[in-house]
Amino acid sequence: MSSPPPDPRPTGLGRAGRREARGSQSRLARAALRLYPPAWRARYGEEIAALIDDSGGALRPAFSLVLHALPVWIWPPRHLHDRDDSMRASIGTVLVAWSALAGICLIFVQLTEFQGFRPAGHPIITWCYAVVDAAVAVSALSAVAGGLPLWLLMLRRARREHRPREVFYLLLPILAPGGFLAALMVTSRLVAYPVGLSPQLFLAFTLAGFGAVAAACAGPIRAMSRLRPRGPAVHLAARAAGAAAASIVVAAGASGVAAIGLCLWARNFGAYHQVAQVAGYLAVITASAAAAALGATRATRAARATRGARATLAGPRR
Amino acid sequence: MADGAAAPRDETGTDMTKRLDRWADPPLLVLASLADEAKHGYAITQDVAETMGVRLSAGTLYAVIARLEAQGLIEPLDAVDRRRPYRITMAGAEVLAQQSARMAKVASLAQARLSLRFGPTGA
Repeated sequence: MSSPPPDPRPTGLGRAGRREARGSQSRLARAALRLYPPAWRARYGEEIAALIDDSGGALRPAFSLVLHALPVWIWPPRHLHDRDDSMRASIGTVLVAWSALAGICLIFVQLTEFQGFRPAGHPIITWCYAVVDAAVAVSALSAVAGGLPLWLLMLRRARREHRPREVFYLLLPILAPGGFLAALMVTSRLVAYPVGLSPQLFLAFTLAGFGAVAAACAGPIRAMSRLRPRGPAVHLAARAAGAAAASIVVAAGASGVAAIGLCLWARNFGAYHQVAQVAGYLAVITASAAAAALGATRATRAARATRGARATLAGPRR
Repeated sequence: MADGAAAPRDETGTDMTKRLDRWADPPLLVLASLADEAKHGYAITQDVAETMGVRLSAGTLYAVIARLEAQGLIEPLDAVDRRRPYRITMAGAEVLAQQSARMAKVASLAQARLSLRFGPTGA
């Protein structure tokens, strides 16, 4: 087995500078490693760091590591993964992407249907509204039906084991939106405005709403990583994450089509005539939908693989 | 290995030879590098560069190692000072032998046809 070759470069005043440059390149390569899934990093991270140290220059390895990170997330090597870990991580990804999309869809509904705007003679937009409404409802039901047993399982365990921090994390999905809604109600009563909220307040509340959603997501994800639940509740949540993600992607897609339709055919309505804003909206929903789809695929695949592995271990039934 | 031998299949029943074709050369280079002895990552890149003239980057190499390991074509040994050697498995040796035979057949056919058309110097 060959060992690393001696450094053939001459010694001198430039050596310290080269070492410093190499150190920063090496740090870059190590940073690139952080783009990989935790299980992959745990398995190959040290070896790759050793390879980079042995090879000298780290710029090319860093670049190649960045290039190969995405395929590893999409097609994770099966031998590496603790299926439950994989499912928990994917459920977390879906939860974040789902919440972002659900929030975006609700804002879309607020800025279209709740304003009483239904352009006559444009059935595509009207149909899109119906699809958004139905898909958001199906998605929310799937998320609740699949997530509730896991949430209850973790809550019971956290209480049984006297872990107040985990209980707090698990209650964040109730506390954060509840606090946001209370603040919204109080403010809207204190600040009178002829028609609903002023645009500035609407923007402020939208941002605060996304903050509340982020906190509501972060709580259960943190609790999952600390409590590491296993079993049927995780499997159910993984499969529900797939269903919820699929339907929220449909909702986001329909809202995107409706936004394009409004941009093309209803230019006098709201800000939908501003192409840049519509393009930004489409970019955000596309990115969130991609994250949701990726997480859901991984979660479903992990759930199915576990079932397959159990069936194999159990052997043929007689 | 006989040409008519059944191709090794992975856990999903897919012909591993065909699957290997899909992601082309780097897996074959790594398998070929490991054919004689176990090597760690850096040793594989050095060997492939010196003997086959191909520089495998860290990202490519470990993407390939992960896939080959997942398919049971190579296996890891105990790490020594952060460097983990890999060795080829029997399944990996079979796949490598089959692929090598196919490549040799294609190479000799190409050489023969080029010789027919352009003469011995054309091949």
